[in-house]
Amino acid sequence: MSARWRLALLQAAAPVLSIAFGGLVASGIIVAIGKNPLDVYGLMLRFSLTRTDSLAAILLKATPLIFAGLAVALAFRAGVWNIGVEGQYYVGAFAAAFVGFSVRGVPAVVHLPLAVAVGGAAGALWAFVPIALKLRRGAHEVITTIMMNYIAAAVVLYLLADVFRDPTQIGTPRVRTPLFADSARLPPLGPALAWLGFDVPAHSALNWFLPVGVVLCAVAAYLLVRTRFGYEVRAVAFNPDAAEAAGISLDRVRFTMFLASGAIAGLVGLSDILGFFGYFDIDFPKGLGFLGISVALLARNHPLGVVPAALLFGLLDRGAQGVQVFAGVPREVITILQAVIILAIVVGYELVTRYVRVQRKLEAERALAPGEPAPLPGSG
Amino acid sequence: MDAIVELSGITKRFPGVLANDRISLAVAPGEIHALVGENGAGKSTLMKILYGLYQPDDGTVAVRGERVVLDSPRRAIALGIGMVHQHFMLVPRFSVAENVILGAEPARGGRLLAGEARARIAALADQYGLAVDPAAPVDGLSVGEQQRVEILKVLYRGAEVLILDEPTAVLTPQEVDDLFANLRRLRAEGKTVVFISHILEEVLAIADRITVLRGGRVVGTLVAREATKAQIAEMMVGRPVLMDLAIPPARPGEVALEVAGAVVAGRRGRPAVRGVSFTVRGGEIYGIAGVEGNGQSELVEALVGLRPLAAGRLAIRGRDVTRAGVRAIRLLGVAHIPEDRHRRGLVLPMDVWENLILGHHGRKEFGRGPVLDRVAVWRYAADRVQRFDVRTPSLATPVLALSGGNQQKVVVARELGFAPTVLIAAQPTRGLDIGATEFVWTQLAEARAAGLAVVLVSAMLDEVLTLADRVGVIHAGRIVAEFPRGGASPREIGLAMTGARLGERSA
Repeated sequence: MSARWRLALLQAAAPVLSIAFGGLVASGIIVAIGKNPLDVYGLMLRFSLTRTDSLAAILLKATPLIFAGLAVALAFRAGVWNIGVEGQYYVGAFAAAFVGFSVRGVPAVVHLPLAVAVGGAAGALWAFVPIALKLRRGAHEVITTIMMNYIAAAVVLYLLADVFRDPTQIGTPRVRTPLFADSARLPPLGPALAWLGFDVPAHSALNWFLPVGVVLCAVAAYLLVRTRFGYEVRAVAFNPDAAEAAGISLDRVRFTMFLASGAIAGLVGLSDILGFFGYFDIDFPKGLGFLGISVALLARNHPLGVVPAALLFGLLDRGAQGVQVFAGVPREVITILQAVIILAIVVGYELVTRYVRVQRKLEAERALAPGEPAPLPGSG
Repeated sequence: MDAIVELSGITKRFPGVLANDRISLAVAPGEIHALVGENGAGKSTLMKILYGLYQPDDGTVAVRGERVVLDSPRRAIALGIGMVHQHFMLVPRFSVAENVILGAEPARGGRLLAGEARARIAALADQYGLAVDPAAPVDGLSVGEQQRVEILKVLYRGAEVLILDEPTAVLTPQEVDDLFANLRRLRAEGKTVVFISHILEEVLAIADRITVLRGGRVVGTLVAREATKAQIAEMMVGRPVLMDLAIPPARPGEVALEVAGAVVAGRRGRPAVRGVSFTVRGGEIYGIAGVEGNGQSELVEALVGLRPLAAGRLAIRGRDVTRAGVRAIRLLGVAHIPEDRHRRGLVLPMDVWENLILGHHGRKEFGRGPVLDRVAVWRYAADRVQRFDVRTPSLATPVLALSGGNQQKVVVARELGFAPTVLIAAQPTRGLDIGATEFVWTQLAEARAAGLAVVLVSAMLDEVLTLADRVGVIHAGRIVAEFPRGGASPREIGLAMTGARLGERSA
C-alpha cells in the first residue's frame, strides 16, 4: 500500500517537478543576461505574493484562463482537439457584448444571465461547425477550428467596425461598441472578499466570474469522474475502439464534449468585457484561447488542475511585470520561462508516466507470488 | 558431443525481472533443437542474446568451442548465426532476390551485380529445397513463401545456425508441413536449427531435442523421441495440465444466432465476407476455422454490430438485428471476446474495475440516474475478479500492468457477466500461454454447458477441433466446408482452409 501512495504522490508532484525543471532551465537564460536567478525569482515571488494588488491582478488574469483551460481540457478529454477556443471566445464575447449594449431596460437578474447564455451559445455554435464537419464528413477538427478562428476574427471585426460601431465615436480613432447597460455589468468580487477579510484594491476588476469558473471546473470534474457519461468520455479518450465495441456512441460523446468545450470557450472573454471594459473594442485581448491550450496541458486536462494551472500563468504574468520594472529583466525572459515550463512538463509527465507504468507492472508481477502453485482455473 | 553453440550460465536482468537465470544450453551441430516455454519464460531473451541483440549480465557464449562476445547481430551473422523473425521484414515491392540481398548487396565498383545474386539465390533455393522464384515480387507471395524468403536471407548470409522464432504462428497446416520438410532438408545439409515454439505437437514432430524453460530457468532437456506432450506441458507450467478437455455431447437448444447470406465490406470497400450463412443453437459451439485474413475479422465485427452488413440477414434469438448497432445487439445478450484485446477489448490505462463494467456501465445495477454507484460497481468488480481468478494487486490497478493472461481474464469475466445468451469469441487464446489457454477453454466449455450459443473463431486448428461441435471452414470470405465434431481429420480441414474443394461433405 505504501508503494501505491508513493506512486500517487509522485504523480501529484510531477507538475511541481516540471515547474522546478523549467525554472532551472530559465535560470540559464537569466544568468546569460547577467542577472542572478535567485534574486530574480525572489523578487518575482515577493512582488507577486506579498502585495494585495498583485494578488488581485493574478486572480483577474487567471479568470479567463480558467475558462479557456477548461474549454480546451474538456475537448481533449474526449479525444478531440479544440484548437478553436480562440475563435469561439471571440465570437462568444462579441455576442455577449451585443446583448450588453442592445438590450435595455431589463433588470440585471435577467440581463446578465442572458448575456452569459448568449455568449456560451455563440461559442457552442462556433464549435458546432467543426465538430459537425468532423463527424459527418471526416474533416479534421484541428484544421477546421483553426480556419474558424480566422473567420471569427474577421467576422467580429466586420461587425464591430461596420455594423455596431458606437456612432458617437465616429470621427475618433476609437473603434468600439456602444457602452453596455449597467444591468449587464458583472458585479465586482471585492466586497465579498473584503467581507472575508481580504482587501482588494478598489480599482481591481476582479469579478464574480472567478468563482463561477472555479465552480464550473469542480462540476466538470464531478461529472467526469462520477457519472456514467464521464466514464464513457474517459473510455472514448483512452481507447475509442474498445469503447465502440462496448456499445458507446463515439459520435455522441465527442459531439457533446466538443459543444460543451465551445460553450465554455464562449465565456472566456466575459470576465473582461462584462466585468471590466463595459464595451467591446478593437483591442479586445487576443490569444487567450491558445494560452488555454497551455493551461490545459499543465493541468493534464484535469478540470481541477485547470485552476492552479491558470493561477500559475497569472503569477508568471504578474511576476514578469515586477521583474521588468524592478530588476530590469526583459518581459521576454518570462515568456521564455513560460514556454520552457510547458516543454519541461511535457517531458516530465512522460517520464513520470513511464516510471509509474513500470512500477505498476512490477507490482502486478509481485502479486503473482512466486513459488505459490497457480490454483486450477474454476477453483477460485 | 561438441556443441556448435554453447551458452553457459547466461543471466539477464531487466529492471525487476530476472529474464534469464543461469541458463545453460548446448546445441549440437546438425540437430533441430526446440526451445519451449510459456510467455515470459525467457525464450526470446535467450535467443536475442544469442543473436547479439542483448548482452548478458553474466555467463558466456561459445561458438564452435570458442568463447565469443556477441555485441551485435552483425557479429552473430559473421559467426554463422542467423535469425528468422516471427514478423517478416520484407519490402513488398521488391523481388525475392532484391529482398534477400538487401543489406548485403554484391557490388563491384558501386554497380549492383544483380545477375550474380539471382544465380546464387537460385542455387541456394535449389540446394535446400526452398521452392521460390528469385525474380517474383514479394507482395504476390503466400505467407509460407515469404517465410522461405526470410530463411533464404539468413542462408545467403552464410548462417550455419538458424534461429526460428515461433515460425508456425502464421502458417496453415499445409504450410507447416512444408516448413518442416524444409527444416529437415536443412538438417540433412548439415545446418543447425533452433526452433522456438509453444505448440507441443509441432515441437514433438520436428525437434531432435527439446529444452524447456520456465521462469527464466532451464527445467530440463529432453530427447524428443522419448518425450510426451503431457510431460512437456507439465514441465512448462510446473503442474499437471489438463490438455484435452472432456466435452460432453452437445444438447443443442433453440436457435440463438442466425446468419444468412452475410456480405461484409473489408478495407477499401472490397467485400471481405462474401455470403456466409450459418446458425448456432444454444448449448453448442460453432467453430470457424481458417487462415487469418479470410474474412473472419470482418465477419465477427458484423456479428456484434461494429460493421454494417452490405447484404444478408442477421438474427439473434429470432429478432432481426441486421441494421442494429453494437448497443442494441449487446442488450440482446451478445457477448464479444474481441480478437485484439488491446484494441477492442480493454481500455488499457483504465483500472481493472473500470474495465470490468465496460459496456455494462449503463445497467441499473450500477446506480440510478446518471451517477455511477461506486459501491455497487466495486462490489461487482471484486466478485468478478475473485470468480475468474484475475491476478491483480488491486481493483484500482490499470489493466496495462497485468499480464496477457490476466488481461484476457478481465475481458472474459466482463463478457460473461449478466448472463449473455450468445458469445462471439474471436481468437480468444491468441498470445496466451498454456495456463491461460486452459482457462479460456474451460470457460468456453462452461459457457456451452450453461446453454450459450458460442461462435469460436480461431486460426488455431487444434483449438477449434477440441471445442467446436461443428466446424465451418472459412476461405476467401466464404464458408467452404462444414463438418460435425470428429467429421474430418485435421488434414482435411487444413486442406479446406487453403481453399481446396472437397466433396460435398457438409454436415
